[in-house]
Amino acid sequence: MMSDDNSIIRVNNLSRHFTVADGKSGFIGSIQNLFSRRYTTKKAVDDISFSIAKGDFVGYVGENGAGKSTTIKMLTGILVPTSGKIVVAGNVPHINRAQNARNIGVVFGQRTQLWWDLPVLESFDLLRSIFRVPEDDFKRNFEELSETLELGPLLKVPVRKLSLGQRMRCDLTAALLHNPRILFLDEPTIGLDIIAKDYVRKFLKMVNKERETTIILTTHDMDDIEALCSRIIILDQGKIAYDGSTEKLKIDYVREKAIEIELHEDDTGTISIPNVKLVKSTANKKWLRFNQDDISVQEVVSQIMRERRVKDIAIHEPKVGDIIKNIYANGKAASQQTKLQKTLP
Amino acid sequence: MFKNTPIYWKLVVTSIRAKMEYKVTFLFLLIALLFYYLGQLGVILIILVKFKNINGWSLGEMAFLYGLLVFSQGISTLLFSSLNYFENLIIEGDFDRLLVRPLNPLLQVLASSFELSSVAHFLIGSTALYYGATRSGLEWTFQKIVFFPIALAGAVLIQGGIRLAVAAVTFWTTRNRSLVHTIVYSSKEFILYPISIYNFWVQAFLTLIFPLAFINFYPSHFFLARDSSTLLFHPALQYGTPLAGLIVFAMAYALWKAGINHYQSVGN
Repeated sequence: MMSDDNSIIRVNNLSRHFTVADGKSGFIGSIQNLFSRRYTTKKAVDDISFSIAKGDFVGYVGENGAGKSTTIKMLTGILVPTSGKIVVAGNVPHINRAQNARNIGVVFGQRTQLWWDLPVLESFDLLRSIFRVPEDDFKRNFEELSETLELGPLLKVPVRKLSLGQRMRCDLTAALLHNPRILFLDEPTIGLDIIAKDYVRKFLKMVNKERETTIILTTHDMDDIEALCSRIIILDQGKIAYDGSTEKLKIDYVREKAIEIELHEDDTGTISIPNVKLVKSTANKKWLRFNQDDISVQEVVSQIMRERRVKDIAIHEPKVGDIIKNIYANGKAASQQTKLQKTLP
Repeated sequence: MFKNTPIYWKLVVTSIRAKMEYKVTFLFLLIALLFYYLGQLGVILIILVKFKNINGWSLGEMAFLYGLLVFSQGISTLLFSSLNYFENLIIEGDFDRLLVRPLNPLLQVLASSFELSSVAHFLIGSTALYYGATRSGLEWTFQKIVFFPIALAGAVLIQGGIRLAVAAVTFWTTRNRSLVHTIVYSSKEFILYPISIYNFWVQAFLTLIFPLAFINFYPSHFFLARDSSTLLFHPALQYGTPLAGLIVFAMAYALWKAGINHYQSVGN
């Protein structure tokens, strides 16, 4: 992994617990709630550590309630950790909240950062004042962003009248106007159609590359991860279940492979190889599945080629989404983690 | 903090413009408020016509007492009204957004809503003050002219501090609507009348624990040159409003700061 001095975010033994009160309603209830001690504690983030290098593009994934948003909210200074240490570009976010805010850009997928009733351009102008971006820098930056994201026709429209995709483009611009070193994105593609998703992904890729902005993204959409992230951190019940490169996740973790074979019309034989499961079979199409610990891809393919007359063959790469689903499905985090640590160097 | 002043102004102007998008709502609110306060005033007048005075307070003095309350309430409504709806910022998760900007979160909340309907308070309040001062023959000495804005600022800080404390409770409870209604809105009823009409314990409560009496009752003694030796604890209480304001607001701000550190945000 990256060397330590290159890191822009450092997180050590970070935890955040939530106390959930058994709330009562009404005036008397709210007074009682002030004094009542009936709480249950939920460990949203449970003793996690990681560091992120400058220029990284990190996918932060997990099921609902795994602690993704909670971590992002601590990194951005919104939430105060229960315990542990965070340093983001030299600042402790919840203590130096204002300084930290200048270094980061934040996009929450479901909520806009813009002023609902104002034209887009005026929101940008307010943000320029708030972040005290020098006029020249702002102009250059704004023109570049506005051109890339084709904001021209949107600038005079009140935010409440924008479509979700249009609003996301404006929100991305808003988050980058002060040229932050780190960009946090919480579900940036949620609710977008395929074209808009693709658009956002291309843009983020460009920002990461050309501006060298470090990007941390939480998402439910595994295609986001696949398309964008060089590194992935998987969270399960507040703990890190995997932390490494996205490629490595595929190679090391998922030993399952699927092969799809189309035979010549006149070949109606079956395929029977030890340790290889025939998942589905039609007259001349076969779907196979096997674990690479038992037999290598090479062996399987060469045996098929010897025995049958193959017209077409496709080896399916596992999708990151399926892998992650597997991690959750195959038992609980704790057992997974030990298994993972064995496969990882 | 002061280097950011122009930005806050910009935010204030923005919030006013956003509100003006809904002009009809604004107009109705204004009319409703005017009627509300005129009704309140009417009740006091009826009592006075019947009994000539309330606990030794003449019509003019009552008008001054009432005017001081409503006028200071106008300023505190103008500045702090967004705190009454702070619950919404928490529930909708919009408070998150304010925390990732390099500005003081409280000032951002205050700047997000400037309640122009307080025009109603100013109209009623200044009329009552003027009428009360004239009718009771108030003499505007130099000391009174100097102390008036200071006492007014103190009264605004007391009311603002109470609103702030009630808003800060939301960090723990997520909801505070009922508290807003009980503590911020209804409690004012206590000081429509001179607090000397209440028994000792209520007076002590309104002086020491929930010091609403400093908004109008105590400073009125000074302005109207009423006999301050009848005051509950000490004649000096008639000058106590600025200090009471500072203490209430400082305590409320401490609670607010603790609240932000306790903030739990909302899930997605």
